[in-house]
Amino acid sequence: MHVKLNIDNRSPVYLQLIEYFKEQIASGKLAMGEEIPSRRELARTLNINPNTVQRAYREMEEMGLIYTDGNMPSKVTRDETVIQKVREELVQDALEHFVSTIKTLQIPLEDIYPLLEKTYREKNGDKADGGEAK
Amino acid sequence: MIEVKNVKKSYGRKAVLRDISFTAKKGEITCLIGVNGVGKTTILNAIMGLTPIDGGEILIDGKKLTKETYEKVAYIPDSITMLPSMRIKDAFAFMNDFYTSWNEKRANELLTFFKLNLEDKINSLSKGNKMKVNLLLGLALDADFILMDEPFSGIDVFSREQITKVFTSHLIEDRGVIITTHDIQEIEHLIDQAVILDNGIILKSFYPEKIREEEGKSIIDVLREVIDR
Repeated sequence: MHVKLNIDNRSPVYLQLIEYFKEQIASGKLAMGEEIPSRRELARTLNINPNTVQRAYREMEEMGLIYTDGNMPSKVTRDETVIQKVREELVQDALEHFVSTIKTLQIPLEDIYPLLEKTYREKNGDKADGGEAK
Repeated sequence: MIEVKNVKKSYGRKAVLRDISFTAKKGEITCLIGVNGVGKTTILNAIMGLTPIDGGEILIDGKKLTKETYEKVAYIPDSITMLPSMRIKDAFAFMNDFYTSWNEKRANELLTFFKLNLEDKINSLSKGNKMKVNLLLGLALDADFILMDEPFSGIDVFSREQITKVFTSHLIEDRGVIITTHDIQEIEHLIDQAVILDNGIILKSFYPEKIREEEGKSIIDVLREVIDR
């Protein structure tokens, strides 16, 4: 797993880590059952406190996003309902962000639909798998 | 746990530490932040008993500094104290003679970690590599706490990068670290606790993750708020 994350100095690092993993899992970049880096490995890659990584992993484990068997490396959940829930949550967050941005511009909803569709198609057309830019 | 309680210290009429209290826990990195001359090094010296204090007390795992507690703490000063003519292997031999807590196995691991050689002569090394040897000698000791005075000061960017990697490596294990710095940016996300010092007093001590979560502020934001310049 190649972790690339720009850390914001003003929000808790453990939450940024959880958010990052949610995105990776929801988009399928991290597959079900895939191993994730050890706490120390991730701390080293991102130059962050190992206790912070520990906290993020503990919370993700409580959320059921990852699981650990004994001394084995932690892995992404195999529970599809959990992954589906994360996807829905991320979509909801993105929609709320979009709506609150667009609301300040006072555009009627019916004017947005065609624009949304056009932008979506344009963006999708540029990318091989409809996901992240290569 | 290292407890610094109401510590006071003056040099002549000049009060260097006016009323210093903070606690550094095992398994955590505590960072003393402040510009040069605010008393950071004096605090480390006081913890090691290298400078007598005028008031207050310092406890290491609940006990005052004795020979036994002294061995629990490794002090890494801001520059190397070995003779410049020594090779690294001579420094190893010296540490081995001097400290019962010297751990040769960890010393060799650190040597590899920092890409140094036993045959390297200390005075032929760059400033950055000298600092690495300095850190190595302290980190190799089997101490529960490690005090580091300005390990990033005046060295090149690659050495700084390599030194920051120590903090996330197994070489720190679950030991407690107290580090002083006047430049927090380098290690902003590496520390557990921040203690801001100015003029011999603590302006604020806090856990940065908590401040980020509860107030949406970075360490630098907090520094700007509390240091009045």
